[in-house]
Amino acid sequence: MQPCSREMQGMSSLLNASSSQISLEDLQQQQSQSSSSIQGSQIHQIHASHYEPPPSHDDFLEQMLSTLGPPSWADLGGQPGKVPWDTTTTVPDGNGPNNKPRDDETPDNVPAFPFDESANLASKFRNHQISGGCGSKSAAAAAAAMMLQHQLMLARGGGAAGAGETGLVPMPLSLSNGEFDRSQNDVVDGSSSFKSPTSGCDAAVQALYNGFGAGSLAGAGQAPNQFHHPQGGSMAAQQNYGASGPAMNQTQAPSGSSGAQPAQPRPRVRARRGQATDPHSIAERLRRERIAERMKALQELVPNANKTDKASMLDEIIDYVKFLQLQVKVLSMSRLGGAAAVAPLVADMSPEGNGGDCIQANSNGGTHGRTSNGNTNNNQTASSNDTMTVTEHQVAKLMEEDMGSAMQYLQGKGLCLMPISLATAISTATCHTRNPMINNNHHHPPIGSNGEGPSSPSMSVLTVQSATTGNGAAAADGSVKDAASVSQPW
Amino acid sequence: MMNPQRLSLSFSSTSYKYRFVQGFIRALKRINRQKLATSLLSRSSPTEIYKRYLKVKSAADASMASAVGLRRAWSRALLQRIRDQERINFGNKYYKYCPAGTRIRGKSTTFTMIRNIKRSSDDRNCKDQESINNGALGWKANELRKLVPGGEAMDMCNLLDETAHYIKCLATQVKLMKRIADFASA
Repeated sequence: MQPCSREMQGMSSLLNASSSQISLEDLQQQQSQSSSSIQGSQIHQIHASHYEPPPSHDDFLEQMLSTLGPPSWADLGGQPGKVPWDTTTTVPDGNGPNNKPRDDETPDNVPAFPFDESANLASKFRNHQISGGCGSKSAAAAAAAMMLQHQLMLARGGGAAGAGETGLVPMPLSLSNGEFDRSQNDVVDGSSSFKSPTSGCDAAVQALYNGFGAGSLAGAGQAPNQFHHPQGGSMAAQQNYGASGPAMNQTQAPSGSSGAQPAQPRPRVRARRGQATDPHSIAERLRRERIAERMKALQELVPNANKTDKASMLDEIIDYVKFLQLQVKVLSMSRLGGAAAVAPLVADMSPEGNGGDCIQANSNGGTHGRTSNGNTNNNQTASSNDTMTVTEHQVAKLMEEDMGSAMQYLQGKGLCLMPISLATAISTATCHTRNPMINNNHHHPPIGSNGEGPSSPSMSVLTVQSATTGNGAAAADGSVKDAASVSQPW
Repeated sequence: MMNPQRLSLSFSSTSYKYRFVQGFIRALKRINRQKLATSLLSRSSPTEIYKRYLKVKSAADASMASAVGLRRAWSRALLQRIRDQERINFGNKYYKYCPAGTRIRGKSTTFTMIRNIKRSSDDRNCKDQESINNGALGWKANELRKLVPGGEAMDMCNLLDETAHYIKCLATQVKLMKRIADFASA
């Protein structure tokens, strides 16, 4: 397209100005000094002065370009009616000194030899488009794409080309192509329309790019190293942009290094910014999204679900499931009637492998605990002595097998273990009238059968009934070897 | 793509509740009859109580699972587990004692077939479990698998799906059982 060809011509003029040798330093200086738009404007000036398109083509392109109306042209021309490349008007420059030498260099410079090819290719491309190989819409889109590309390239300005003008052209081309997909949607659409239309158009684009590559190759002549380096840099830059426009980049990179290749319209998933289009990673992403969805749904079900962390959320879920299962167990037990039935079964659950849940249930399950205690309490007030006997037997049996389950059993009943001395101290201190409830040593003989040697009174255990029963009485029970732990009745 | 709404919409609790209560009450009646039939002496011994508790619990679970039907992996696994347990516990009596609401006898082959088919379609949904299993979440996921019936053979996202449905059903079950208990004891 025209802008790029003019670009080449500008570069060639710069080249020629410095005694037809690539002067890296000059270029770098010039590029670094001038601002991007200024440089662009300069280049446009350069281009405009010696580019003379044939009139018919000129009109067509004029039409296209005027309808599209890119902002950079407005910056340059400032006059809507005028053809942008007639830049006889002054361009707002800040850099006087840089202007002059460029202007001096350019006016009479004929496009240098190496760039004739690119000019030819450019005209060929235009012919392609004009002859309707692609259709006007895609041609316009292609033109828009090219112009935006040009803008971007100019915007990059001095920063882009690190190694000379030969690198400048292919690199900005590819860099701006990389930027293509990252920037606005219309650019993306333009580039996608690049690919989607007939293969002829793509081939033309390919030819153009290849031409540029070839032109730069030919023009590089003296500095193949420089060329390869920016080429490699451009390719690296392409890859650095992730997978944005992968097809474009892929078609770019091989075109730069090898000859013309036929375009390969591949239906690729246009990835979002910063994400790969690798099928594996897409599947991974989908899977992760699904899992996140379900975690969110679970969060609504489980109470206390204010955790944002996945791990803690899983913990909550696990605890809640355990709690619900325990509730089912207890409810199925309570139906069998009576505290006598409930209590041993609470303890018997530990052999099932859910021993930890008993304690959990007692701490977590508010309603559950209350209901079971309610049942327990009702029955105990009715026949407390019988219940106590049964309880004592149960505790004794449990202590035989496993202290932990015994503790759990007592906790389930709202009872606790404490050393007899403490119990006596409490009982004597608090209540004297409730003596009948305190049967300290009477139960030793029957329970002594468990073989733990409950001979000494200090070994016996005092159980304090929970306050919920309403008695507030202290009852002695059972026997235990070690100094028992005291748990708070609730 | 599945949305969280779908989970709540697909859980039609009314039908589940009705079917669960039906099955459960039936099972309770049966257990009560058995209890009356057994000798009076052994009735309140802990072992007897424990056995009866097991029966009631499995009846509750089975009626819930059969209310859900065979379309959920956890309900299928739960029914299978209960069947196996009953077979172990009661031997010959198994075919007479059918868990509440289920007619498994005639449908045992269909049951296995459906289970196999459903499992294969589930497996296709989520692949590449390794990262989950090896990470810190892997241990918790295994914990969850132990809790949810049939969760052993599931991958993470199916497991979460089943867990959500299982939690809903468990909550319903608990609520209904509480109501029945209150009604019976009042």
